[in-house]
Amino acid sequence: MTTTLDRVDIDPVTVEIIRNALTSAADDMNATLIRSAYTPIIYECGDCVVALLDADHQVLGQSAGLPIFLGNLETCTLATEERFGREVWQPGDVWILNDSYLGGTHLNDVTIFGPVFDDGTLIGFTASRAHWIDVGSKDPGGSMDSVTIFQEGLRLGPQKLVDGGEPVHGVIDTIGTNVRFPYPTTGDMNAMIACITMGEKRLQEIVRRFGLDTVEAARDEIFRQTELLERAVIEAIPDGVYDAEGVLDNDGIDLNTPIPIRLRITVSGDTIDLDVTESADQTVGPVNCGVAQAVSALRVGYKLLVSPDLPGNGGSFRSMTTQVREGSVLGARSPAACQWYFSHLGLLIDMVARALAPALPDSVAGASHGDSMIILTAGVDPRVGREFVSLEATVGGWGAWQGSDGESALINNVNGSLKDIPIEVHETRYPWRITEYRIREDSGGAGRWRGGNGVIREYEAQTDLSVSLWFERSRQPAWGLFGGEDAVGPEVVVNPGRPDERRLLKVNGLDLKAGDVVRCSTGGGGGYGDPVERSADDVRADVSDGNISAEAAMTRYGI
Amino acid sequence: MSGRYRVAMDIGGTFTDVVTYDRQDGVFAASKASTTPGNLSEGVLVGVDAVVERPADIAFLVHGTTQGLNAFLERRGVPVLLLGTAGVEDSYHIARGPRTRLYDLHYRKPVPLVPRRDIVGIGGRIAADGSELTPLDEEAVRKAARGAADNGYGAIAVAFLFSYKNPAHELRTREILLDELGADVTVSLSHEAAKEWREYERTSSAVVDAYTGPIVRRYLVDLEQRLTDRGVAVPLHVMQSSGGILTADSARRRPLQTLLSGPVGGAIACAELSGHTGRPNLIGIDMGGTSFDVSLIVDGEPDVSAEAQLEGLPMLMSVVNIHTVGAGGGSVAWVEAGGLRVGPRSAGARPGPACYGRGGDEPTVTDANLVLGRIDPDGFAGGQLTLDTTLAADAVEGLAEQFGLTTTAMAEGICDIANAKMAQAIRTITVARGIEPRDSALVAFGGAGPMHAAFLARELGIAETVVPRFPGAFSAWGMLQTQIRQDYTEPYFFLDEDLDGADMAATLARMEKTGVDSLSSEGVAEDQRTANHSVDVRYEAQEYTLTVPLTDAEEPSRPGFLTTLAERFAALHEARYGHANLGAPIELVTLRTAAIGQVARPAPQPWPAATSAEFPHQLCTVVFDGEPHESVVVRRDDLYVGHTFAGPAIVVEDTATTVVPPDHTVGVDDIGSLLIRRKDTK
Repeated sequence: MTTTLDRVDIDPVTVEIIRNALTSAADDMNATLIRSAYTPIIYECGDCVVALLDADHQVLGQSAGLPIFLGNLETCTLATEERFGREVWQPGDVWILNDSYLGGTHLNDVTIFGPVFDDGTLIGFTASRAHWIDVGSKDPGGSMDSVTIFQEGLRLGPQKLVDGGEPVHGVIDTIGTNVRFPYPTTGDMNAMIACITMGEKRLQEIVRRFGLDTVEAARDEIFRQTELLERAVIEAIPDGVYDAEGVLDNDGIDLNTPIPIRLRITVSGDTIDLDVTESADQTVGPVNCGVAQAVSALRVGYKLLVSPDLPGNGGSFRSMTTQVREGSVLGARSPAACQWYFSHLGLLIDMVARALAPALPDSVAGASHGDSMIILTAGVDPRVGREFVSLEATVGGWGAWQGSDGESALINNVNGSLKDIPIEVHETRYPWRITEYRIREDSGGAGRWRGGNGVIREYEAQTDLSVSLWFERSRQPAWGLFGGEDAVGPEVVVNPGRPDERRLLKVNGLDLKAGDVVRCSTGGGGGYGDPVERSADDVRADVSDGNISAEAAMTRYGI
Repeated sequence: MSGRYRVAMDIGGTFTDVVTYDRQDGVFAASKASTTPGNLSEGVLVGVDAVVERPADIAFLVHGTTQGLNAFLERRGVPVLLLGTAGVEDSYHIARGPRTRLYDLHYRKPVPLVPRRDIVGIGGRIAADGSELTPLDEEAVRKAARGAADNGYGAIAVAFLFSYKNPAHELRTREILLDELGADVTVSLSHEAAKEWREYERTSSAVVDAYTGPIVRRYLVDLEQRLTDRGVAVPLHVMQSSGGILTADSARRRPLQTLLSGPVGGAIACAELSGHTGRPNLIGIDMGGTSFDVSLIVDGEPDVSAEAQLEGLPMLMSVVNIHTVGAGGGSVAWVEAGGLRVGPRSAGARPGPACYGRGGDEPTVTDANLVLGRIDPDGFAGGQLTLDTTLAADAVEGLAEQFGLTTTAMAEGICDIANAKMAQAIRTITVARGIEPRDSALVAFGGAGPMHAAFLARELGIAETVVPRFPGAFSAWGMLQTQIRQDYTEPYFFLDEDLDGADMAATLARMEKTGVDSLSSEGVAEDQRTANHSVDVRYEAQEYTLTVPLTDAEEPSRPGFLTTLAERFAALHEARYGHANLGAPIELVTLRTAAIGQVARPAPQPWPAATSAEFPHQLCTVVFDGEPHESVVVRRDDLYVGHTFAGPAIVVEDTATTVVPPDHTVGVDDIGSLLIRRKDTK
């Protein structure tokens, strides 16, 4: 069946001005947060999101933000209201929350939000979420091997940070004493408060200029337009059931047991249901997430295919339902560990494209290398006699699609717009030498359209130090589509070619000596279409450009 | 007196604006010539001919060239061979790996200017402290040079790790290349293009320099020759992205610095206006047929960055920030899911708005303005184009019918949406910079800026809008207000506790000497040479730096310098980011020296006072707020200092149209700028 949605009776010019004003208010909130944030993970990587909600917790406007934060800020205001009642909202209050089972992510992701009043009437909420560099977990910045959430840091249910305009010093002090870097943390907290205050001011200005009735009528028309556009895309997908299965290597504790993730998509008319209930039970190791976060990841997968260019609002996702099982790895219950909550979310986003490939062959893409590929090192830099901690995500290959090769050496889906650390900055700050940084030939899946390649980044220790690793997606490297081949997965080798050579992908605090070498290789992206159909000119260009070897040109492309 | 005229030329996509200052009479004049895309020199010469009878009368000539920029945008640069450090030469293609569009399964990076097959890794390694770890593989350089000779490369870029600390390998590589290939080959060394850390950004800077350099050089040589042939006796000056100028001779050696010079003149003109009128904070809006650019003047100075991007490719250089936020008058109004949208798509120059009569049938902002009577159809773009009001009305009516609106209501709706969106974009830029729009005045220029300015000011709560003389040629006027400028950087990475103030002062003194000496080759008299110093500072563990000015090169050697620096940095940090942490450890990253050569700058020309309160005008009907209003129509040249009148009104002149809504008043200041104020403000 198809839903018909009638236009709301309101002047189209006013609607469009209000629509832009709401989106722009979210942009202003985001600009305020990025401008005032203290830690690079917010202003450099954009590991944050903001939203403007109406009094019914529907999204009026939000920044593009980190994709896996998409559309779940309202769960925080809703959870607070469910717990304390609607009368809990009072002017001048600011709230904070980071409970993984409410917000869905790990404890480092802190949400700060507040009600917006105009003339004594609750007219909406503003909210911001950002990654804090440390929330007091057992290891600085987060652990690779936590087994309960109690090892992962300070956990806050919804509570007031500001009460009637007055800071709640008890709560603020508690936060300060539970984190390793109080100053940057307070700096980021104040930036988030400034951000939601900016949103409050903008929403009040909009309501005062146009009147609440007009804003509400415009909202209904804006939501209707969004819903209509999304339903039209769903309607075009043939009815049916679309399945995909993916697998994580392990939970970081029991390295031998893979974690299956299963997705069933059912399309009927202009509605779509995404069901992940058959996925693995929650794990001992820290790869769990709350329901809200699984829903976000499914929404990202949906949005990438259905409405990539539409600003998100309360009309988004109305055609979509989700089923997540409590107690599963995607619907974790206390006290499941959640530090690496995003490894299966990147996977899930790729899986939505895989499942819908038969229906949307022109929109989907082969899988990407898929995860952060983290190398974290610590020790004392002998040049200055000071301790150092370095944390890097490593770029990899993305999947090809109809009409284009996949991109090589690109950050994964869950790390936003993160940039690598320049070698010159790295070697100046940390006692390492980077001896190699190159595109990893032949790592992308072959295809009519070739998957992007991963990279090789090789480090030589200049002093004794320790290394932790989180490299994923080796059991199921990025898959190809429509005859395109699968990519090569990640590989980390310590001291390659030496008698003490070791291969490993996840480890917490491995001690190394000066002169030891760590060679990290990331996976490529999946190919698209039969490699035999790739033009000989393209294959030869790939060989000239070092994307594929002469041997692969022969064995995989027959050139 | 040798030389009567000072001449500035701003080459735009369609027109070349020329502004001359007649030193004898103290009078400015503006004119327009068609830009000649095939050979820009032609347009420049036509422009010169249009304003001066005898080229020998030109005392000073400056222009902003788009030659390099066009070559870049159209990917018509020369084929470049890139030599990088063996093992990490892919850094240029890895490009640090960010995704700048997050909801895009089909994301591709900006296409690099050099394909991987044209990149060669060269053995040899410098360490972070500048010491040599492995000697340069000279044979590999010779081999690459011989390959280059066979493969038709037009330039070679060389970018080795840590060359900003120790350039020996890059310098030796150039010697070998020149030895193998002859003195004519273009070699761009990364430490010369951008002496800063971050290998990808520095490599990209060197590649852009190599890619566009030969084209800019050819153009400048050709143009200088033609000017000399015509009897121009003074050196040609070229605008830089930093807002300063260089002689063409120097620009040939540093072509990268001229790449983004086009729109900078407007920002410099705003800064000049700021100084003249005592308004410290200005928001400049430059709106043309297909563009809408915003620039900020904060505390009297243009907002400058140390890094620029062009189509996603970075360049480390001083650049005046110009924010491109929209499509100008060409923005198309359309329907999506029953909703009305304006932009971001533009009808461009072809087919352009429906009223251009070039086959466009979609309604644009320009069409809407025309329907409302806010544009004189015969006076558009200096009369170079006659607009067709019927075509505009037809296009707007077609859209109006879909919404059950009258054509006039639709036209005003299109303008209202466009104005609201532009105002919101400006507001977000100011929020990101920590500025309150209400504390600024708006300066409107470009052909279409003054048409929308009063509406934008109202949306932003700005009390006052300034429309300068010659708004269509304001950028060219700005070019006459610049100084000669050479920028120097020196990486200087120290945690505060490790800093040696005497060494820092000595380094700055060396930079000052190099800079000031270079001004002699710019023909700057000794007593007109100065140098400004500054240092990029950040809190420990931060990524971004702020450029903190120093009083002079000696300052770091004085007692208490670190305290002063920390305080100065904290004050800047508070203003820029809303918070500061005095007492926290700070890091110094880069030293900067700008060598400045003062050139004689013409003072703004005083505008005559009115002899009577009356001025010639007509009345016509213009739509505001849904109602036709009888409005004053006046020629700009008929308004003198002391004249005041109330909106609604239209002020017409050759290069622009100023629209004054009801509830606004207009005055004329001492240099002829129109001052538009809302009645409900002071």
